Amino acid sequence: MLNTLSGLFTAAVLAGTPLLLGALGEILTEKSGNLNLGVEGMMFMGAITGLAGSYYYEQAVIQSGGTPTGVMSALIALFASFLAGALGALIYGFLTITLRANQNVTGLTLTIFGTGFGNFFGEYIGQQAGGYVAVSDVTKGVFSRLNIPVLSDIPVIGSLFFRDNWLVYFAIVVAVVMAWFFNRSRVGLNLRAVGENPATADAAGINITLYKYLATVIGGGICGIGGMYMSMVTTSGVWVHDCVSGYGWLAVALVIFATWSPARGMIVALIFGGLTIMRMYINIPGLPAQIYDMVPYVATIIVLVVTSMRESREHAQPKSCGLNYFREER
Amino acid sequence: MKKKIVSVILCAAMAVTLIAGCGAPAAETGGNDEGGSSSAATEGIPKDEIKVGFVHVSDPSDMGYTYNQDLGTQEMQKELGLSDDQIINKYNVPEGAECDTALRELVDAGCNIIFATSFGFEDYVKEVAAEYPDVQFCHATGYQAADSGLDNFHNYFASIYEGRYLAGIAAGLKTETNKLGYVAAFPFAEVISGYTAFYLGAKSVNPDVTMDIMYTNSWNDPTVESQVAKALIDRGCDVISQHSDSTAPATTAEENGVWQVGYNNDMIEAAPDASLISPRIDWGIYVTEAVQDVIDGKEIPVDWCKGLADGAVYLSPLNTAIAAEGTQEAIDEAEEKIISGDLHVFAGPLKGVSPDGEEIEVAEGDYYHEQEESSAPSWQYIIEGCNVVE
Repeated sequence: MLNTLSGLFTAAVLAGTPLLLGALGEILTEKSGNLNLGVEGMMFMGAITGLAGSYYYEQAVIQSGGTPTGVMSALIALFASFLAGALGALIYGFLTITLRANQNVTGLTLTIFGTGFGNFFGEYIGQQAGGYVAVSDVTKGVFSRLNIPVLSDIPVIGSLFFRDNWLVYFAIVVAVVMAWFFNRSRVGLNLRAVGENPATADAAGINITLYKYLATVIGGGICGIGGMYMSMVTTSGVWVHDCVSGYGWLAVALVIFATWSPARGMIVALIFGGLTIMRMYINIPGLPAQIYDMVPYVATIIVLVVTSMRESREHAQPKSCGLNYFREER
Repeated sequence: MKKKIVSVILCAAMAVTLIAGCGAPAAETGGNDEGGSSSAATEGIPKDEIKVGFVHVSDPSDMGYTYNQDLGTQEMQKELGLSDDQIINKYNVPEGAECDTALRELVDAGCNIIFATSFGFEDYVKEVAAEYPDVQFCHATGYQAADSGLDNFHNYFASIYEGRYLAGIAAGLKTETNKLGYVAAFPFAEVISGYTAFYLGAKSVNPDVTMDIMYTNSWNDPTVESQVAKALIDRGCDVISQHSDSTAPATTAEENGVWQVGYNNDMIEAAPDASLISPRIDWGIYVTEAVQDVIDGKEIPVDWCKGLADGAVYLSPLNTAIAAEGTQEAIDEAEEKIISGDLHVFAGPLKGVSPDGEEIEVAEGDYYHEQEESSAPSWQYIIEGCNVVE
């Protein structure tokens, strides 16, 4: 029983981390009043560029006669995926912030674009490599479970909390920093003002365009890192067609589930991750797998209903989310 | 105004890349110069005019099922000396209405013979085949051709259960916990026949072995395959096998320090410290025969199934660095017996229950005639020792 539970917990963390990263990126974006539905696309872009970055780095180093180091490879994957996600978000930002295109349509287009981008280049690089792209053992090692001296060896607690891969801890750090940023910093307060009521924020002298651009682009970059998690950890550094497979959409749902709070995001990502893999650990005889697969979505609907009934101002979507700001129309 | 123009250009650019990105894998139509409507069954088609179409559920980058199918296509192309534009592949076609579209596009492009390689394509193949009697349709792993009453609709498969049995021997000798895990796609006969054969192979060398089976409910979903493999490992399974398309179970097994038996492809490159061996199908034999039949104007058999004896089923090289001692010898011995007919995989006494509750009992001395009457596997009974987790 204890083994099943700890197995479930570990698997939930693994399944929940890409969701958490995607959701954090989207929370940052939505706090600036931009509803970017392109999370899935940005995750795909991050997934392929992260993998490609590591792969080409290794190839280049091996060709010049050196040995690639895992840390360098991981850093390149991190930056490449961040840049790719940020690039996707920049296209979105330019269209919606500067040109004021419809946010929903632009976001959906970005999803389709990013999915095609990821699969196209994934297959292209695979064919160039003579079959399929796979990073070397050095890089695979960096993205597998850590073994922290002393801490990892603590019974039960060690295997529960100190044996995950580094991206798990990275995601937690991002969530904590973001929670502090929103609630405790001046700039965070300004950003929230932009998302709630851009006209008032504008009158208070806040540079709306700058805030919106920065939040959207950095948010997109974080989504990209979430995508890199899929290609580097979930599929162990091998490109497989459609590897993000809907996790971007789950992340969008997770934003609502987390009620736009990064701190709560950590807990609900764990719950969401747990719900997606629950059927493999907890077996209720006679309950079809399809019912299990529905559970995360049913939970989202319930949370949506409950939060809208409570009409809590604090836990609601930023008021101007989804609307473009046009100064002349004030 | 300027901004509007820029926005239109940007949108157009995005749309174009979108089409390029999504279109490239799905639609690789070759030259569209002639509409092939000559009847194949009677007069034949000159070799340099024949066009061959394929509909795949994934693409060769899965390094599993579709990759293996594609190798068969290449084998056929080389054997018959066809040029690249005589072969049209449709990759990543979902098992839905898209399959119907893909088949019709292939007919429009002038294909004389079309191969559909995934189980769920069958209904669409049957429908389109009825509309185009001059085009030959071959569906892998299906079962409806014989009863369909169509002359141009055929099923083909290989008796992969023989290969699975042999691969099971490697797993049975390797396991230390005496618990195998199986990442299975769907509770269909094709899958159940495969894992039962695998289990029986393992049991033939290790009587204490049991097996946990977990379904992914998808032929190709790397994320779920990897999660299911992890869940099986958490249940104490130390050799993972699979009936699913990707290498995700192999890489998951490697990361968690257990072993794996693949399917369709030599997965040692993806997981050098985990992958023991993989049963494979040589699709090239059938594809070459069928295309040759169309060229010669001969009938294509309604049901085609060959196995170990004809080389249609074979094993990838054993990973001798990690396999248990004596594995190769045990496999060779069993292989010889299967080919000579001394050993039958589904030999009695066997007792099983299908997911629908149908029971079967094979008496001692008798055996279940798997894939002998039709090319599709029909063993759909879960036997003792196989524990389906759901």
